[in-house]
Formats: sequence, structure tokens, C-alpha cells
Amino acid sequence: MDKTKEQQKKLFQELLMPELGALFRTALRMTRNREDAEDLVQETTTKAFSAFDRFEEGTNFRAWIFKILTNTFINNYYRVRERDKLPSLDEMEEESAFQPVFDGISPEQALLNTLTKEDIQKAIDIIPIDFKSVVILNLVEGFSYKETAEILDIPIGTVMSRLHRGRKILQKLLWEYSSLKNSSEKGTEEEWTAKKQ
Amino acid sequence: MDCKEAVEKLYLYLDGELLTPQERKDFEDHIKICRKCCEKFEFEKNLWNLIKSKCLDTPVPATLVNKVLTVINSF
Repeated sequence: MDKTKEQQKKLFQELLMPELGALFRTALRMTRNREDAEDLVQETTTKAFSAFDRFEEGTNFRAWIFKILTNTFINNYYRVRERDKLPSLDEMEEESAFQPVFDGISPEQALLNTLTKEDIQKAIDIIPIDFKSVVILNLVEGFSYKETAEILDIPIGTVMSRLHRGRKILQKLLWEYSSLKNSSEKGTEEEWTAKKQ
Repeated sequence: MDCKEAVEKLYLYLDGELLTPQERKDFEDHIKICRKCCEKFEFEKNLWNLIKSKCLDTPVPATLVNKVLTVINSF
């Protein structure tokens, strides 16, 4: 890239700023902490600008910077001990013991009606990182299977299988949250009715 | 296309990935005539759209914008 430093900065800023929201969201779900997420994006910016002379103008900047973000997260923020704090994969993937029962509407509609942003964030936060990164890149940020494979340095087949399992785990967690919410609401209603009588 | 194949192709269809135009058409034809697969498709489509929209609803902190600009200007 045959440009002056100032021209490089200008171009880098023009490419980076529209992606800042996506980078922060992704960092936030990965680190599960706003302060760490901001630090991760800052560190990503530093690394990306340091390597910007090797970026080929006209190629996929978005995928390029997300690759730097995910690598920086794995190398500097993710600790294996984090895994110990999460439920095991076997637990997450086993068939749900919850049998959702809803009045009047289908369980599926009830799930869609009751899910909150917090439920979804909580569920994504506890998915193991290998599945979470594929779910976020593909389903939230809209990268293709091929782009996701390139960002994470894994084969497309692995992207597809992780995405399938990630979807399954996420859905199971969301069904559980929805069922718990429904049964606690029912409990409250029953207690209220009992008190009234 | 039968129900088994439609379920296998559902996520590829939703993701807009790897299916040929003919396979996409076969999938669409199947869900037009199969209520069960149609309901599953609608639910999955709505669920993942909901998840995506809730996740996208995360504003960038103003402090981060300043920090990032400071990083760039420090070079």
C-alpha cells in the first residue's frame, strides 16, 4: 500500500467505523463483560492498523478485522478455566427435561412472545466458545459459511456442524428460560388466586 | 422433496447457503403443501430473526468511539 501515514489512517478509519458496532457486539458476547469488550476492540484496532499495510484494498475488510478480533480474543482473553464455569456440553445437548405447557397459544408462539434480549444474551453467553463464535458470526453478523470458515480458520464442514449444534444448544436454553418464566408466572397467578379466595 | 429432506435442508434454506435454485424451489414447493414443515419453517425463521434483531440492538458506547480514534491517531 503506497500511501502516506495520514492517508492510511483516513482509509483505515473509513473502513473501521461502520464495523465498530458489530465488533463491539461480538466482543461483548465473547468476553461477557463491557470493559473487556472495549479493551478487546481497542487491542484489535491497534493490531489491525499495525498490519494495515498488508491489507489488500478492495478485499473483505470486515472479514479481515473480525479475524483479528477472534484471534486476539482466543490468545489474550479466553482462558481454559472459563470452561469450568459453564455447564458441560453433554448437559447442554441432552434432551430437555422441560415440557413447555402454555395456555391458549402454541408453545412456539409463546416462546417468541416471551423471549427478551436478556434471555438471548444470557443463553449466548453460556454456549461454549467454539459454537458461540460460529453462531455470532453467521447468525448475528451475517457472515457466510465460507467467510466464517476463513475468519476462524476451520473447514466449512466444521462451520456447518458447529452451527447446527450451536443452534440446538441455544434453542434448548431458550425453551428452558421460557418454560421457567411461564411456570413462575403461573405460580404467581395461582398464589394470587389462592390469596384472593 | 419429502419431510425428511425438507428438515435437513431447512437451515441451508434459511441461511441462503449451498442449495441450487432447483433445491430452493423444491423446498418452497414442499412447505406450500406440508403444514407441519411450513409451521416448523415459520417458527425457525421467526426465532432466528428475533435472536438476530435482539442481538443487533446493542449500542456502541461513546467512550469506545473516542478510544478507537485515539488509537488510530497515536500511530
